[in-house]
Amino acid sequence: MKTAREMDLIGCKRCTRVSPPGTGVCPRCGGKINSRDPKSLQKVMAWWVLGLACYIPGNLYPMLETKTLVSSDSSTIVGGAVELAHHGAWGVAFIILLASVVIPVGKFVIILGLVIGVHRGPQVSDDLRQKLYEVVEYIGRWSMVDVFVVAVLSSLVQLQTLVNISPGRASIFFALSVVFTMLSAQSFDSRLIWDTGRTPDPADPQPEGTGPAGTEKERTA
Amino acid sequence: MTQTNSAPPPPPVKPAKKSPFRRISIIWLVPLIALVAVLGVAVKTYLDQGPLIEISFDNATGISAGSTELHYRDVTVGVVEDVGFSDGLESVIVSVRLHNDVAEYVDDTAQFWVVRPEVTAQGVSGLATVLSGVFIEGIWDSAPGGLVEKFTGLADAPLQRLNDEGVLLTLRAGSDVSLTEGAPIVYQGLNVGKIGKTSISQDGTTAEAQAIIFSPHDRLVDTATRFWDTSGFSFTLGAGGAALDFTSIASLISGGVTFGTLVSGGEPLEPGATITVYADEATARASVFSGDEGETLNLSAVFEENIAGLSVGAPVELGGLNIGRVNSLNGLVDADRFGDNRVRLVATLSIRPGKLGIEGDQTEETALEFLSGRVRDGLRARLATTSILTGGLKVELIEVPGAPPAEIEDLGDAGPRIPTTASEVSDVSATAEGVFQRINDLPVEEIMTQAINLLGNINALITSDGVRSAPENLNGLLADARGVVNSEGVRALPGQMNEAIDQLATLIEGFNEAALSERLGKALDDAADAAKGVNSAVEGVPDLIARIEGVAANIEEVAIDKMADQVTELLTTVDSFLNQQSTRALPESLSGALDELGAVLVQLREAGVVETAKDTLNSASNAADTFADASRDLPRLIEQARLVLSQAGTTIEGYQANNGLGRDARTALREVERAAQAVSSLARAIERNPNSLLTGR
Repeated sequence: MKTAREMDLIGCKRCTRVSPPGTGVCPRCGGKINSRDPKSLQKVMAWWVLGLACYIPGNLYPMLETKTLVSSDSSTIVGGAVELAHHGAWGVAFIILLASVVIPVGKFVIILGLVIGVHRGPQVSDDLRQKLYEVVEYIGRWSMVDVFVVAVLSSLVQLQTLVNISPGRASIFFALSVVFTMLSAQSFDSRLIWDTGRTPDPADPQPEGTGPAGTEKERTA
Repeated sequence: MTQTNSAPPPPPVKPAKKSPFRRISIIWLVPLIALVAVLGVAVKTYLDQGPLIEISFDNATGISAGSTELHYRDVTVGVVEDVGFSDGLESVIVSVRLHNDVAEYVDDTAQFWVVRPEVTAQGVSGLATVLSGVFIEGIWDSAPGGLVEKFTGLADAPLQRLNDEGVLLTLRAGSDVSLTEGAPIVYQGLNVGKIGKTSISQDGTTAEAQAIIFSPHDRLVDTATRFWDTSGFSFTLGAGGAALDFTSIASLISGGVTFGTLVSGGEPLEPGATITVYADEATARASVFSGDEGETLNLSAVFEENIAGLSVGAPVELGGLNIGRVNSLNGLVDADRFGDNRVRLVATLSIRPGKLGIEGDQTEETALEFLSGRVRDGLRARLATTSILTGGLKVELIEVPGAPPAEIEDLGDAGPRIPTTASEVSDVSATAEGVFQRINDLPVEEIMTQAINLLGNINALITSDGVRSAPENLNGLLADARGVVNSEGVRALPGQMNEAIDQLATLIEGFNEAALSERLGKALDDAADAAKGVNSAVEGVPDLIARIEGVAANIEEVAIDKMADQVTELLTTVDSFLNQQSTRALPESLSGALDELGAVLVQLREAGVVETAKDTLNSASNAADTFADASRDLPRLIEQARLVLSQAGTTIEGYQANNGLGRDARTALREVERAAQAVSSLARAIERNPNSLLTGR
């Protein structure tokens, strides 16, 4: 099976019409078409970097600030999970760790791996890469679970001076981080997987130092 | 693909727009913007960051880095960034990041303290810090004076806060007044001020406290104002009922001070003036007239003698005028100064400059100057006696002529020291002591015991029934004797004798006529003998009385107490003897006999028998003889009575050996009685048979 690109055609992502090479606007739906998004990897990396930058303060700053009558307590995501684990709530701690640490970190790793795979040539099969991409796309929203918990708690527990839970500074960064990683994942042009996957042989003419975008550029040009 | 193969119409081909940045995604702008924003925030934060000041505290209770705030007028103007230690861990250094807008004002006038919740008798303060945690409060004036970076924090809130205007005073109080930190200053029931931190004055004699009287009440205070303690309560009970007086519950518990301007004409107080607090209103009022004790000059004096009697509060006199009091007494051992290790008496004298009569300013300095001059002239301090009885001492400042030169020494913290001279106490008190010792040594108690015993004995003697009744008995005895002597018989006796003699004379005349004068003479001689016998009998009566007196004397000599009853009995017996009819009848019998004789003589004369004259005269002579014999018996009788009385005396004298005195005396008296009866029967016999007188039968 060949891809449209291999057949010198361009598929529209909106209406799936194929057009001859060199076409910039889809003749059917009028959308802007290209064989491959030339700046896909740039976008992915830009959002990825932003997401990672937000993820760091999101973990260093306190996520929740709990003020009771006599004490005020603030804990980070990991700190809170550890505290829950200390209190015996292993299940909750596991969920928090999964949603707040494992999934975002996994996303960063997978996205970076996909980009590297496109850029340097894949180390795993196309199928796995496609699945990983789908997983990242699907699971990304679940990272917002943490943010939702904070949002719900701080809106419900507002007993003035008695007990007051408010979102910590980390919640914003964490939410931004999730948003940015989702954008990052969406920016990834999954068709790139096929290009590299189709040419697993080292004889594939991909010059060193130039990204796939560059290659794309030359080809489309 | 089939469509492609069947020659589709060539689609219009539009080349993509060329963009100068087409090789670079526009998305990169997003992280770029984020980066710029972050950098911007960082730079702004850095630029907005105020200076860091360091405040040192004794401890950092409740202070935590990052959350404890610095407040100024209850607005947060800084946050504690770090809590650390000074070198040597002597204090806690709290680093506070100030806000920029106040940094300029935090100059050397700034004061910092930690506000903590505090519960005192005056109320609760800093309650907010219970929930929010402690904070550091700072005050500084409103003139920017350049930032100072190191401060020493206060242990407690300063008395005068930023918005408190008023007059700051130093209150001074002796041991009878309690100055309590935080206690209110009350005027007419209102809190108009507050007592601040209390401390002990440098010389250790008084307590001092900062105090503030808030505006506008500070105008109530001037130099004529007196302060007194209102803590506790007073209870008075008088004609107007009972009165319980205390100013407020807070004052009752924690103490308080009030004031009053008791006289007019005071001048405004200078800030920081030192004012004495009196124990109560009465003392405060009294002080108005006794002069202000506000400023005193404290002198110390070392006395070589260690004499008991000087006490705190003893007067200090100059030329007899009280100029101050002894404030404290201590011992001093200073081998370097005095050359031995003896303990010397150090008295701190607090002298009121106002009493010295200095012209012009009457302050500590002028007083010291005045005294220094006088000391150069020979003024010395010495101990002198105030009271000989109590041994109380005072301190006298006197001029000693020819004293070795000396100066008032300034001993720094210990204050000036006035030279002393020998005391003038020991002699007087020693003499007084000796006198008292001698009085003490007298055996007063023994003398008193003996005197009491003596008086007791005298009393017992006087009150004994015997002594009381003895004079009565004697009286009775004498009265009876008088009765005997005064009895009509005795009285009539001379008359009857006269008559008898007249008749005898008539008879003798008859005899003479009958020339029988010789016989008559004999008869007369016999009659004379009889008369003599009567006389001697009468003579014996005084003797009898003398005897009785002797007996009475003896009675006095013997143990009266025990004998009194028996003596009384004896006297009663004597009395009854004298009262007996027979005794009384004796003279009557005699008189009867004489009457009979007279009758006989008359008969004889009427008979006129001259013949029987010789016989008659013989009979008369015999009768006279017999009468004379009888009369001669009378002295014997009296002699016998005398013997009886002698015996009674002897018996009384020998009473101790012979308890049967009463019985013997009675026996003896019975004998007297019997003898008297014999006399009586003789008389009766003569009466019954008068002729026997003549006939001799």
